[in-house]
Amino acid sequence: MNASFDILLQTLLSGVLIGLIYALVAVGLTMIFGVMDIVNFAHGEFLMLGMYASFWGFALWALDPMFTLPFTALMLFGLGSAIYHVVIRRIIRAPMLSQIFTTFGLLILFRGLAQFLWKPDFRTIDHSIVQGKVAFAGLQFGLPQLVAAAGAIVVTGIVWWFLQRTRLGAALEATAADKDAAALMGIDVQRMFALAWGIGAACAGVAGALLSTFFPIFPEVGANFILIAFVTVALGGFGSVAGAFWAGIIVGIVEVLGGFLLGPQYKLALVLALYLIVVLLRPQGLLGRA
Amino acid sequence: MRDEHAWAKRIVLVALLVLVLALPYLVGNASQLNYAILVLMIAQAGVAWNILGGYAGQVSLGHAAFYGIGAYTSTQLLLVFGLSPWLGMLAGGGVAVLFALAIGWPCFRLKGHYFAMATIAIAEILQIVVTNWDWLGGAVGLSLPVAETGWRGLVFNKSKVPYYYLILGLLLLTLGVSWLIERSFLGYYFRAIKDEPDAARSVGIDLTRYKLVAITASSFLTALGGTFYAQKELFIDPGSTMATSLSIKIALVAILGGVGSLGGPVAGAVILTAIEETTRAMFGGTGRGTDLIIYALLIILVAVFYPSGVAGWWRDLEHRLLLFKRRDRASGKRKTS
Amino acid sequence: MKRLWKLFALGAALSLAIVRPALAQEEIRIGVIYPLTGAAASTGLELKQAIELAADLINNGTRGLNLPLTTTGGLPNLKGAKIKLIFGDHQGNPQTGATEAERLISQEKVVALVCCYFSNVTNTASQVAERNGIPFVNPESSSATLTQRGFKWFFRTTPHDDLFVTNFFEFLKDVEKKKNISVKRIALFNENTLFGTETTKIEERLAGEQKYPIVEKILYPAKSTQLTSEIQRIKAASPDLIMQSSYLGDAILSMKTYKELGVSPDALLANDAGFNDSEFLKTTGKDAEYVLSREVWALDLATRNPLIKQVNDIYFERYKTNFNGNSARTFTGLMTLAEAINRAGSTKPEAIQKALVETDIPGSKLIMPWKGIKFDASGQNTLGNGIIVQVQDGKYVTVWPFDLASKDIIWPMPKWDQRK
Repeated sequence: MNASFDILLQTLLSGVLIGLIYALVAVGLTMIFGVMDIVNFAHGEFLMLGMYASFWGFALWALDPMFTLPFTALMLFGLGSAIYHVVIRRIIRAPMLSQIFTTFGLLILFRGLAQFLWKPDFRTIDHSIVQGKVAFAGLQFGLPQLVAAAGAIVVTGIVWWFLQRTRLGAALEATAADKDAAALMGIDVQRMFALAWGIGAACAGVAGALLSTFFPIFPEVGANFILIAFVTVALGGFGSVAGAFWAGIIVGIVEVLGGFLLGPQYKLALVLALYLIVVLLRPQGLLGRA
Repeated sequence: MRDEHAWAKRIVLVALLVLVLALPYLVGNASQLNYAILVLMIAQAGVAWNILGGYAGQVSLGHAAFYGIGAYTSTQLLLVFGLSPWLGMLAGGGVAVLFALAIGWPCFRLKGHYFAMATIAIAEILQIVVTNWDWLGGAVGLSLPVAETGWRGLVFNKSKVPYYYLILGLLLLTLGVSWLIERSFLGYYFRAIKDEPDAARSVGIDLTRYKLVAITASSFLTALGGTFYAQKELFIDPGSTMATSLSIKIALVAILGGVGSLGGPVAGAVILTAIEETTRAMFGGTGRGTDLIIYALLIILVAVFYPSGVAGWWRDLEHRLLLFKRRDRASGKRKTS
Repeated sequence: MKRLWKLFALGAALSLAIVRPALAQEEIRIGVIYPLTGAAASTGLELKQAIELAADLINNGTRGLNLPLTTTGGLPNLKGAKIKLIFGDHQGNPQTGATEAERLISQEKVVALVCCYFSNVTNTASQVAERNGIPFVNPESSSATLTQRGFKWFFRTTPHDDLFVTNFFEFLKDVEKKKNISVKRIALFNENTLFGTETTKIEERLAGEQKYPIVEKILYPAKSTQLTSEIQRIKAASPDLIMQSSYLGDAILSMKTYKELGVSPDALLANDAGFNDSEFLKTTGKDAEYVLSREVWALDLATRNPLIKQVNDIYFERYKTNFNGNSARTFTGLMTLAEAINRAGSTKPEAIQKALVETDIPGSKLIMPWKGIKFDASGQNTLGNGIIVQVQDGKYVTVWPFDLASKDIIWPMPKWDQRK
């Protein structure tokens, strides 16, 4: 192996690692979309709240983000379903534009609240149990990134298992496929919607918790991820969990490799261009329902 | 009865026009006039957006691209060739139309969220390209000369009144085009494309062709607003003229006011700007994000309780008032309509 | 439907109905616009604290300070009139900055503006001031182009990027001589908004003139989710020196990535901004050791200028944090403006502008390591200069110019795996 191949390989794998995080964020987003056709602009804010939950657990009680992760997930689950009940339930039949408008309002609201409650300061968690780096075969990776990627795979796997193998998951899938038919079959559609919001928010929250060991935490942090999450969801196909997963990895690789080979200033442009090409050739995305 | 109604409408309209025309002489200071100009600017963009996003139902979240193209084209023509911004404005519109047709042709195959996402992606790509394009000033942006030129060069320092009438003229032009479209066969076709695309296709309407007509008008008018922005602020950079946040704001005023109605975006612009500027002036100085929280709560409330915007609320109100009147008149017969 | 016009009129009337009460006589109203919400809010709030402290020192007086105007309470030449700051929030948006400037000038009737931190916002807001004939003091924007516009009402107290980058290369020459080394491979690593883009251009030009080879040049998109590919490229180029311009979030992320990928040049020379933010040291901790950064202010300069410590002590007591380069410059901005207003003996904009033009404050009356404040025809302070600080034992210490240095520079910095 020569040096440049090493670097290329390392870059590629770094792309996969960050891509898995994108995948987890996108899985949550696509979940909400798949079940009720709503694009959640405030999704990055769920990620931000997940990061803050980890941070406060760490700052106040010295609890490691890895330890508080299940609680973060639960809290975000609760928040997601609460938002459904308080706000989203009322706009479920509204035109797409009002829905965009509403979730955009939520985005600003959460950012404002985060600044109000926790100040706009940047924060980091610097003594997590996952820190340092791992080296093998001449490649180096940050342990936090590896753990985050592994966590993302596990959580995505759990969501996948839940949808495929449990009765509740099947009910959710049925609701996604046809609301009215699901209602006729005795499925409580409202509950399914709340469940989708809960899971969607929890996925983003977990992604936030996993990121919190190596990414700065501040009220606007969601903005860094939201556009990429949209592209990932659309690339994988709105509503497709498997699609979001693979698309996340692809986006991560394209971003990192493109940045390395062509110039970092165009890395986001490359990802966006990839999305456009795919969606023009296959308007329903990679694995979306036609 | 109907005539009486139409007359009332006409009187209100004329009174409003007079009020709007006289506004610069009614406001207390330049700052208030500046707010009025901001309202008209975003209203103009919202009305232009409405042609594509409202009437034809193609939800674009990338209109800042057209706005930015308008601003950059006229500015660069002015800086490099000394071209008058009047011509630059038309050129900007022309470039925006070419760009719109180039992206519209492939993207109109996409539906709903896919189309919206594609427009975000395209506008973002354009912003990235301009940010890294030295000839266009890159991230540093372009500054226009500040010297007063009057109506020839559209730079006014002594007073903001000319800016007000200029943007008012642009808004009236944009409203006029919208009105013509709404009244013509195009209006019917657009609504058919929006509500019943399959039926429209089956009766032989070439969907893509009419969507392209809509985006042509919409992008041209949006670009005119972009040129105005450059002439007013005298400084443009990709972040302020091409950002997705601007695209969303343009769509927001239309949604807030009522999508697909002629005056809706104007009402939306008044309300959104009033909320935004008032909350910022009252709470922005505290630095705690209070202004954002209030702003966000207000737009969520509007979206949740009036999903069809102010226009929908107005229609409801009008409807209820009419019912009330009728019931009043028909009180003896106890007839419900 | 056309009745919507009615609403339009109503809304317009409402939004214009915010009428201000009459002004009190003894107030000098000064408008201050900073990013108080949005991505840069944490910096904006710091600047707000600094300028509030400056106003407080002037208004209430503090004995024993060698600062202008802090002995009497209020401005003596205006019968002890007090300064009233009126804040605006530009959210990092140039148009919002212009709108707020317009509001402060014509609605709040401010007699001068202090603004805006971001260079692009300074650009639009200062145009509003220029068009209205209101003095505009800019304490912290460093884009060189701002003073190339021929404005008459624009005064910048801070040095600009051209000077800062020139300092970089003077510093390199000095270090090479002192340590008997030579820097052969420079990598430029800058963010691609206005700040990083302008810096890159100046760095390229000066490196070319002074024959320093640039082995890698990277402009990365600000607010990235990861900087792995960028830093991989830097690693591949194996530079002796990385010159970096980043805001806070990216600065933190890049430090973590350097460590993760084991990138160890001889030195990392940062261009202020994120690397000097109060949060930077707090969040990166030990990993920030040995980072060099261009600065305009450092606490250890107090050994030469006791004023620095005195004012910083007051600041620390009040806000539980030290001054930094940004807040110290903002503080100085208001001090400069107040000194001019006092000399003018009037709150008429023309009189203030005239006084600003004639400003000549000696370095001994500033909390900055500058020779003083004196504006040239373009409104640029000609007596400012930069310093280079290095993070040593968790503190920023001045290492250059050598005659101001309180500690010796550590160069090369130890590799990551050789650190404790």
